Amino acid sequence: MRMLATFEKSERLRHIGHLDIMRAMQRALRRSGLPVAYSNGFNPHILLSFASALPVGAAGTCEVMETAMAEDVAPEDFLRRMNAALPPEMQLSGARAVDDRHPALMSLVRAARYEIRIRDAEAAEAIRTALPAYLEQAEIVTDRKTKSGIKPIDIRPLIHELTMDGGVLRTELALTETLSCKPSMLLKTLGECAGIGEPRALVVRTRLLGEDADGRLVPVEEL
Amino acid sequence: MDQFSDRIEALLERVQKAPRYTGGEMNTAVKPWDSVKLRYGFCFPDTYEVGMSHLGMKILYGLVNREPDQVCERFFMPWTDMKELMEQEDVPLFSMESRHALYDFDMIGFTLQYEMSYTNILAMLKLGRVSVRSADRGRDEPVVVAGGPCAFNPEPLADFIDAFMIGDGEEVTLQVTAAVRDWKPTGAPRRALLETLARIPGVYVPAFYDVKYNADGTVASVTPNCEAAPERVRKCVVTDLDSAYYPRAFPVPYTEVVFDRIMLEIMRGCTRGCRFCQAGMLYRPVRERSLETLRSLAMDLERATGYEEISLSSLSSGDYSCLPELIRALMKDMERERVSISLPSLRIDSVLKESLEETQKVRKTSLTFAPEAGTQRLRDVINKGVTEADLIEKVTDAFSSGWSSVKLYFMIGLPTETDEDLDGIADLAQKVVRCYFSVPKDKRAKGLRVTVSASSFVPKPVTPFQWCGQDTQESLKRKQAYLKEKLRAVKGVNFNYHTPELSYLEACFSRGDRRLGRVLEAAAARGCMLDGWSDLFSFENWMAAFADAGLDPDWYAYRTCGKDEVLPWEHIDSGIDRRFLRREYDRAQRAEVTRDCRQGCNGCGLQRWKGVCACADAGHV
Ligand code: SF4
Repeated sequence: MRMLATFEKSERLRHIGHLDIMRAMQRALRRSGLPVAYSNGFNPHILLSFASALPVGAAGTCEVMETAMAEDVAPEDFLRRMNAALPPEMQLSGARAVDDRHPALMSLVRAARYEIRIRDAEAAEAIRTALPAYLEQAEIVTDRKTKSGIKPIDIRPLIHELTMDGGVLRTELALTETLSCKPSMLLKTLGECAGIGEPRALVVRTRLLGEDADGRLVPVEEL
Repeated sequence: MDQFSDRIEALLERVQKAPRYTGGEMNTAVKPWDSVKLRYGFCFPDTYEVGMSHLGMKILYGLVNREPDQVCERFFMPWTDMKELMEQEDVPLFSMESRHALYDFDMIGFTLQYEMSYTNILAMLKLGRVSVRSADRGRDEPVVVAGGPCAFNPEPLADFIDAFMIGDGEEVTLQVTAAVRDWKPTGAPRRALLETLARIPGVYVPAFYDVKYNADGTVASVTPNCEAAPERVRKCVVTDLDSAYYPRAFPVPYTEVVFDRIMLEIMRGCTRGCRFCQAGMLYRPVRERSLETLRSLAMDLERATGYEEISLSSLSSGDYSCLPELIRALMKDMERERVSISLPSLRIDSVLKESLEETQKVRKTSLTFAPEAGTQRLRDVINKGVTEADLIEKVTDAFSSGWSSVKLYFMIGLPTETDEDLDGIADLAQKVVRCYFSVPKDKRAKGLRVTVSASSFVPKPVTPFQWCGQDTQESLKRKQAYLKEKLRAVKGVNFNYHTPELSYLEACFSRGDRRLGRVLEAAAARGCMLDGWSDLFSFENWMAAFADAGLDPDWYAYRTCGKDEVLPWEHIDSGIDRRFLRREYDRAQRAEVTRDCRQGCNGCGLQRWKGVCACADAGHV
């Protein structure tokens, strides 16, 4: 059986890279005493995947992972035992059993919501002032790193939503396997538009979204 | 936590390898700051990656945190970029757990693993806003203690450390933390505490000893100036290792550290008596943990950490009395968890073919052999009881069991060494390569890799070679070049060596006296730190620091000490008898070997201490 779970990567852990968080989660699975499933083959490893890699430097309040169990486990038990095996900075908030036909998480993600706290009050003010003009642009072109070098990308259509509340930007950005707007692209272009350069900010991803049967964006873990 | 947390978080945006400073790892203790009576800051004077690989830290961390009224938090040496930012932004050295400043702790303890970490101690104290010199510390400043192998010659650090704990730390640490805890609320002066500490067996308070020097610079005498201080400070020995504290959980770092696995200390001490080896003398006598204890520890540690690998650790794991049984039992216990088991310090005369085959089932890393010297004569001089035939047999076994990568460790600059001994190294490497090709092609693994490492010999206190001067840098450089040339001709061999400058400084400090504190201060003032990292090591700064202090490093490193000379560390009683060491020194000059003391006591000195070495009970004396 497969288990889908949501977890936090706390602000304190935001500099820990994706692979290190994966390994920490694998070790937690080993510590939990749950009947985890291993891959076959020469070098067996725990079957674990994350819906989306969180960039280094960003925290996440509702990241989504999936793992396989060798035997059936009740989601409540999974949650309880995993939380006992995880440090306070990486606790799970929910778990749900899904059947084997459930599509791979990664293929479901369409967008993500973020809260971005601008660290410097002056920069926040400049951004607030620039925000309407920023959103009015027909296109917002910036650089994107690809395997074949740096390419231009228009992120305007990828910004689904962008508001500001105090020093905090709230935004929903497209996130798919092929086309995404990273929070850093948003910050860079926003900073340029406000004439201050890329502001220092704390990025927290609050939701990963996928498309339901009616084409609405809903949390990935609910699909 | 809140006092500096915002500023720390802002710094972390700007440094490389921020995960070094984040904390929040599994099994790290965060006790409410006000819920305890004693706060102990454990300081590892090197980077996070190095410190988190260190077993002693894990033991002491668990030990102190088990006490309900005490907390132990960790400190490491920040890398230069972080250190600079902290100074700029006025952030003091902070703990990994609660992010309290170093100066907020009641007691801070440094572990002394290698001499070249000493400047980091000064840097950490300064960054933690604790007075660097012991004499300058006020009533409310932390009590600064230190322990670990280098504490057997504490003198170069005597000006900076309030009290040293000598020997096994499991028991004495809690005696010291309790003394500090009880003293703190009394309002009694600092000196009163130091006197209490000096009365605890195994604790050395350097301020209570006066050192006098002869006209030629050697030590004339070291005498107590306070009634609380003993003539000689006797090292602590945990006589029953099996019932001694061992943690059942380790902190689990997020990022990869040097040794990222469960370390299971199966035994302490070594009976072999290699004459260059300080650990072999300091950790005597040999004590083992029982198979049952080890199995239970391994299971608990596995459950608490989720690590994928266990390594058996000791000075000479091959000597553990029931090694094959232990490996078999652990493999069976850990099968479901898919844990692999590794033996880090295989000695070539104790590797059992059987255990080789079993470990190989699990993991096939490179095998390490340490013949240490290239000829039988020199191996006899250093009492490394290994023969060429042994080596060849074990290496052939390894190659036919599927290993293709072998590391050979040697030392150069050993007492009595000649070029013939260097030729011997090249010769052995050549023979090892031939062993590989003598295994039929279909039976051996592909990709032969023989790595020959040559480190430079450093004379260490409490060894039979403590009187020997170090080989000069010029001579070592010539020998390295000579070997490099010789080994170039051997196909499949890699040659590793380090510049001798670091070993030269190690020699200065390992046998150094109290006056070297001035050099440490001067070096720290010149920015020396993290000297173990070659990209930061500046030999010029060190030489200038010696000049600042008016001391001659050659005198410290190269001098052969007189037979009757008072050595700077001899008021620290390691239990090893100076006469035994001298006897071994004389035998070395004649290339005479001394038996492994499991075959009969050699009278190293510990037999004089009641109930310490099992040999006394066995009637071997
Ligand atoms: S007292 Fe004897 S048996 Fe014990 S460690 Fe020393 S030499 Fe070995």
